[in-house]
Amino acid sequence: MGEELGKLIAELDEESTLRAVREELDKGTDPLEVLADLQKGMALVGERFEAGEYFLPDLIMSGEIFKGAVALIEPLLSGREAKSKGTIVMGTVKGDVHDIGKNIVITMLRCNGYEVHDLGVDQPPRAFVEKARETGAPLVGLSGLLTIAFDSMKETVQAFADAGLRDRVKIIIGGGPVNQTVVEYTGADAWGRDPGEALRLAERFA
Amino acid sequence: MLTGIRERKMLHPGDTMTAEERLRAAICLQMPDRVPSAPLIYYFAAEYAGMSNHDLYDPAKYNAAMRRVFEELGGFDAYNWLNVYYPQLIAFSMPMRVLEPGYDLPPDSIRQFLEEEVMEIGDYDWILKICRRFPLLAYPRLFSRWIPRIWEEVGEGWRFYAYLVPRLQTTLLRWRWEFSRWRKRGATVLSACLLEAPFDNFSMARGLMRFARDMRSIPEKIERAADALVESYAFSIKWLCLYTGVKRICLAVHRSSNDFISPADFRKLSFPSLKRLVELLAAEGIASVLHLDGNWDRNLEILRELPAGHVVAEFDGTTDIFKAKEVIGDRICIYGDVPANLLALGSPAEVDEYCHRLIEEVGRGGGFILGTGCELAPNAKPENVRAMLESVTRYGYYRGGSGRAA
Repeated sequence: MGEELGKLIAELDEESTLRAVREELDKGTDPLEVLADLQKGMALVGERFEAGEYFLPDLIMSGEIFKGAVALIEPLLSGREAKSKGTIVMGTVKGDVHDIGKNIVITMLRCNGYEVHDLGVDQPPRAFVEKARETGAPLVGLSGLLTIAFDSMKETVQAFADAGLRDRVKIIIGGGPVNQTVVEYTGADAWGRDPGEALRLAERFA
Repeated sequence: MLTGIRERKMLHPGDTMTAEERLRAAICLQMPDRVPSAPLIYYFAAEYAGMSNHDLYDPAKYNAAMRRVFEELGGFDAYNWLNVYYPQLIAFSMPMRVLEPGYDLPPDSIRQFLEEEVMEIGDYDWILKICRRFPLLAYPRLFSRWIPRIWEEVGEGWRFYAYLVPRLQTTLLRWRWEFSRWRKRGATVLSACLLEAPFDNFSMARGLMRFARDMRSIPEKIERAADALVESYAFSIKWLCLYTGVKRICLAVHRSSNDFISPADFRKLSFPSLKRLVELLAAEGIASVLHLDGNWDRNLEILRELPAGHVVAEFDGTTDIFKAKEVIGDRICIYGDVPANLLALGSPAEVDEYCHRLIEEVGRGGGFILGTGCELAPNAKPENVRAMLESVTRYGYYRGGSGRAA
């Protein structure tokens, strides 16, 4: 069944996925097992995106279907939690309120088993540092669509150094105009072009 | 006056064509005297002139800032512009809620768009109905429905027209005056206005998440509604071109790139209405400057179907512009693409090297306009902007080029 459930979500078949999840739960299958099957399907979605078969609307749809499935599973978990693959703090940096790209990346990371703390938009460096300290996250993601966000990213990276956290926290950046030059300018560790690359960076660092 | 005999003012000592002649030759895929330049400048002007971004809402300050950029950083052939003096008017191009410097954001911030549901799901059917009843006036009818959802103070029905018509009229008169000033300086004007293609309007107005669902659940409705609007978009654009004296229109197609939708969806849902719009405009002698943000690598072949010599493809540094030259360069004028991050973080030598390569490779044989892709980064270094603008006189003269076919 597991493989089939994964396949259904990877085919973006919303109705059949939700029906199959309900059937599994009714049969008494461990909800955590169902969740793991769904995550395998989401990994397949990520692979297809990387291969250029799937595009942004497909990622969005898979995220929506996953959310719908999790809503069915969650009440049955009774406090048990799926094993997290890692903790990540993410947000859009100060001076920028764009969040679509960040939200899609966060959805994909969560669907793939990461615990993501979303700070929201227009966040000062201090907010990233405090959240990373509080959660012990080894990875922080900074998002920004505007070129003026470069300076905010740089300040945020510096704030981690000032707080003495830079050697234990990896910082990745993303957003429209970001590339390797911006990584060098801001002092971050790496950048990602799309949610697929964000997933690979999470596997490497989180 | 917009018509009548004007002095043939040359921008640079080595020029043999006016800026307008040069731009037209490039768009018609001919070889001008040299490569024309047309950077898209807005917030950079405020930064350069030491103003706040909010100051650009003041026509006198905006024009003074733009003039300084033009006169002090090397000049450009075509004025490519984004100024509106009333924030409500932006919604005619991009129907989204917008946060404005000095109103919703600190005066030095830059305009930011929010993805909210301006277009409701029932609007697809409403559009089909309104297009049957008012085929040429559906465009203003549609925006009289959407804009009050973004700006409460605009009001609906007659209040919409009472609020916006005087502001639109004032703006158009100002633009006409500004365009005449640019022509006197020896530049020309790139576009009568910046609008969005119908499919991309839907994507912005629905919001990305909702629109992704629409594309799966009601694709034929999207396609039909976009197609139904073509006549009224063409009619409005024709009127704008007549009023401003510029027979070119910028059409933003920024939600149709490979970053947003698949090539198959582009072909099926976005391209048919875009193509018909471009063809209707071409039949009126109006060239379409397609603002193609994002990655278009896998859509290039499809663009070949657009009418040759009537289209400009503006890339922003994400698409492989060198490959684009090979794939569509014989049919479409290519425009771009000095990247924002290079202008903000690079050195003048790096900018010069990149522009040189663009001129040599993409400019080969004509059919090329040097530009910034999307908007010139507000924090671009002035010395980098100068290096970019001067590159067209340093490397851009064509041997024997004077408007002959490439």
